[in-house]
Amino acid sequence: MADRVCVGAIAGSFGVKGEVRLKSFCAEPEDIATYGPLSSEDGAASWEVRLTRPVKAGFAARLTGVATKEAADALRGTRLYAPRDRLPALPDDEFYHADLIGLTVVDTGGAELGRVKAVLNHGAGDLLEVAGKGLKQPVLLPFTKAAVPTVDLTAGRIVADPPEGLFE
Amino acid sequence: MSRSVWKGPFVDSYVLKKAEKSRESGRNEVIKIWSRRSTILPQFVGLTFGVYNGQKHIPVNVTEDMIGQKFGEYSPTRTYYGHAADKKAKRK
Repeated sequence: MADRVCVGAIAGSFGVKGEVRLKSFCAEPEDIATYGPLSSEDGAASWEVRLTRPVKAGFAARLTGVATKEAADALRGTRLYAPRDRLPALPDDEFYHADLIGLTVVDTGGAELGRVKAVLNHGAGDLLEVAGKGLKQPVLLPFTKAAVPTVDLTAGRIVADPPEGLFE
Repeated sequence: MSRSVWKGPFVDSYVLKKAEKSRESGRNEVIKIWSRRSTILPQFVGLTFGVYNGQKHIPVNVTEDMIGQKFGEYSPTRTYYGHAADKKAKRK
């Protein structure tokens, strides 16, 4: 499980008073402000975020320590990371995509099938995209109790009981 | 009576046959179909279809609230991953 999660990015400055244009990657875009302080990719800098108003394709926001347009411009392209433990706890059978991505998928016999590459949802339930060396192309595994009986985040693995013909 | 009512929903006949065969066998399998235009019928509830999107078969678990829509609606032909961030997945 990753200890930090990318929750947004700085798209540049907004106005001339040191505000930044913020892109949020969160399910509820406004939630990005609640996960602060947010840090840069290398962890060297961190900022508290205050959203001032919604703007086209994001938010105008103030970051602590950024007071001028030049300082805001210098942050353009910076990805913002939140500590994983700032995300609220979830009920049983609900998982963050960030926690599922990268888990090893094994079958009920213990043989490795691949790793979770992405979590998708096209309207008919969540799907795990599993990619592995033995697979020609990634396989989509329905994220149901029948197909995925066990999710062990601490061990970093998922036990899958896929429907017939899925991993062929 | 309007034309759409007396004609009934459209379903490719092979989809009906495959669904019936799968239900009779009781096996846990993905029913591969290429018919994105077929309507989802009440007898499909509980089955898993692999709906072709031009590249691969996307698994679609049919539930009651999907009745009346087309299979193609649940199998997008374009890929967009986006960012994981704080997005959640629920195991049903």
